[in-house]
Amino acid sequence: MASGARAARSRRPVWPLPGFGPSFDTRGKGLFVWLPVSHWTVYGFTTVWVLGVLVPLVLLVLFSFLKTRGIQFIFEPTLRAYLDIFEYAGWPVILRSLRIAATVTIIELIIAFPFALWLAKGTRSDAVRLTFFTLLMVPFFLSPASRTIVWRVVLGRNGLVNSVLMSLGIIDEPVDWLLFSEPAVHFGFIGPYFPPMVWPIFLSISLIDDELLEASRDLGGHPRHTLRHIIIPLAIPGVVAGIVFTFVPMLGDTVVAHLIGGGNVLLLSSSIYDLITVMNYAAAAAMAAFVLALILILQLPLIITIRSIGGVNEIFASLRR
Amino acid sequence: MKHSKHLYYHLSRRRFIKGSLAAGGVIVGAPAVLKGLTRQAKADYEPGVIRFRAAGTTATPGDWSLFEKETGLKMVATVEKDDPGVFYNDVMVNDAGDRFDIYLSLAGVQQTLAEGGWVLPIDGSRLKNWAGVSSDVKDIPLLKPDAEGQNWGVPIYMNADTFGYFPADLDEPRPPDPVSWGLIFDSEKTMGRVSIDDNYFSLSWAAGYMKAAGLADISDSANMTASEVETVADYMIERKKAGQFRNLWNTYDDQISNFVNGEVLAMRCWEPAVKDARGQGLDVVYAVTDEFYIKWMQAAFIPSQAEDRNLDEIYTAIDWLLGGGYAATLTPLRGYVTSRPDLGLEYAKEMEMGDDVVASMEENLFKIEVKFAQPEFWFSGVPDTLAEHERHMARFKNV
Repeated sequence: MASGARAARSRRPVWPLPGFGPSFDTRGKGLFVWLPVSHWTVYGFTTVWVLGVLVPLVLLVLFSFLKTRGIQFIFEPTLRAYLDIFEYAGWPVILRSLRIAATVTIIELIIAFPFALWLAKGTRSDAVRLTFFTLLMVPFFLSPASRTIVWRVVLGRNGLVNSVLMSLGIIDEPVDWLLFSEPAVHFGFIGPYFPPMVWPIFLSISLIDDELLEASRDLGGHPRHTLRHIIIPLAIPGVVAGIVFTFVPMLGDTVVAHLIGGGNVLLLSSSIYDLITVMNYAAAAAMAAFVLALILILQLPLIITIRSIGGVNEIFASLRR
Repeated sequence: MKHSKHLYYHLSRRRFIKGSLAAGGVIVGAPAVLKGLTRQAKADYEPGVIRFRAAGTTATPGDWSLFEKETGLKMVATVEKDDPGVFYNDVMVNDAGDRFDIYLSLAGVQQTLAEGGWVLPIDGSRLKNWAGVSSDVKDIPLLKPDAEGQNWGVPIYMNADTFGYFPADLDEPRPPDPVSWGLIFDSEKTMGRVSIDDNYFSLSWAAGYMKAAGLADISDSANMTASEVETVADYMIERKKAGQFRNLWNTYDDQISNFVNGEVLAMRCWEPAVKDARGQGLDVVYAVTDEFYIKWMQAAFIPSQAEDRNLDEIYTAIDWLLGGGYAATLTPLRGYVTSRPDLGLEYAKEMEMGDDVVASMEENLFKIEVKFAQPEFWFSGVPDTLAEHERHMARFKNV
């Protein structure tokens, strides 16, 4: 390809929808150009972060070490709430929730990465991208319950799947485990958490300069090598973000477990909700704090992975080159 | 490479401390801001508008046009989950009294609210329909939890609950012939095709069955001791492991969906769900039983915040809920018994609402004579060993 054409293409903004979103380009001119560059921007974000995230989390941990009587907290330090977690069958719930969330996250990653790669680099048509963005977004115009409950009609005893299998003579009786079971809950999570995995991976792959890919090809690199040595390392920030955006909200999802699990698959979110409804706030706080600690511990492998390839700053610097 | 200043803004320690102090000021000021927002919520009160917090979708009589026509007030109803814990949270933690003028909830929950000063005592003299409410209804212990016998709630409607089942599919008799609660808890016919409440309430239903079947010695199914709860939970876990239950329902829609989608052959449910399913052509009936009924009552409570706000309007609205218009609308629609069924029947005849409406009002007299006459059991939703109930329900759900 002529160097002039390459240069022209590399100058083209990667953001796929002209007119939408921030001025987000690969030339290093700034991520949020509309924000005033002043220390008040930093303080503003800090304040929002402290008020909206840190203070509630600190209070949550604090409450988990207190006693409750009715709706009142008694300021006597105790580990009672943490003991309550185990009395409320906490361990199996926590382990089940983590296992399901981890399994679905891995499935999402396996499906989402090739899809995001194709969307970012496999197609040059904005129309195709726009179509797929719309398809990914449309379900989110519905409430989580509305877009989940349709699966009952599909997976139920008299549902579409059972009807088709029976009419084909594959089964004689409806298959019960298609709904209100753990496999059904896994399935129910895949749809709603696909876009949160796709978006960040798509963005990080989009930011990879095409010249890098072409250089690899010009040097005789096999596509597999290009994928392994260029695309995957540079997509790591998106993969990490995708894992976080998928795994963590899934732990707090009450809709799928309720509508698809039908009360047969007790997950953390429902347990915490149940504790709140009987006003055992301390045990609910302890369970939430325990999960928070587990999530922080689970970040370690991700941090180690990122450090092994030079750290976040190095990855972002590579993307801007 | 030169980094963008947008991304790598230099922040000195002194400057950060100054900024953090400012942020701290914002945090300190936050309660005042939140208080302002609460005041805004209070300001949402409008004269002539009743803000009604209903428990469960079945409390509303379709629409409120008749209420608005007969009282001259406007009704803004909000439907919340019928769960005492959710109700307590809303009232005691989230200051629901600032946002609502009337609460409707299970009678029996008010003791905690009365002790904490969250609701006002009822002045029956301000309700013209109050005197005619049967003393069997307005004087039950559920409504008068304190020693003085003060009434803290106005009984609005009640029912004696059982379960729905498909008589033809199960080869079981139809009402008024009785069937056993064994269809829900222990039956080969319904194995794997039963749904029960996703709530600690289910422990009380199972206790009622165990008591009737002689499986356990339980003094009060509605208010069990800790060891009784454990015994009942063990039994339910055994039945769950045997494969008795298809799922646990959470909402009214879940109940309808279980019937309509063919998931269950029997389900512990609300009577309106059976009426809805029958309306969709299903041959499902609501059980009559000799064993026990879950007798419950929805009562109206007045938030203490309303004391200097709009008490006259609130009493007018509650009086309408006791009257014939509400009864003649709610009973045919949901099958519930109101506190003044006599006024409902009178109203239906006077307004020529049709034979079916009159018939459903008369059917209620049967319900009062047969179902409410059973001694077992009135249910408050708030047992003394609430934490034990929740702990053992979690154990059951976790199997």
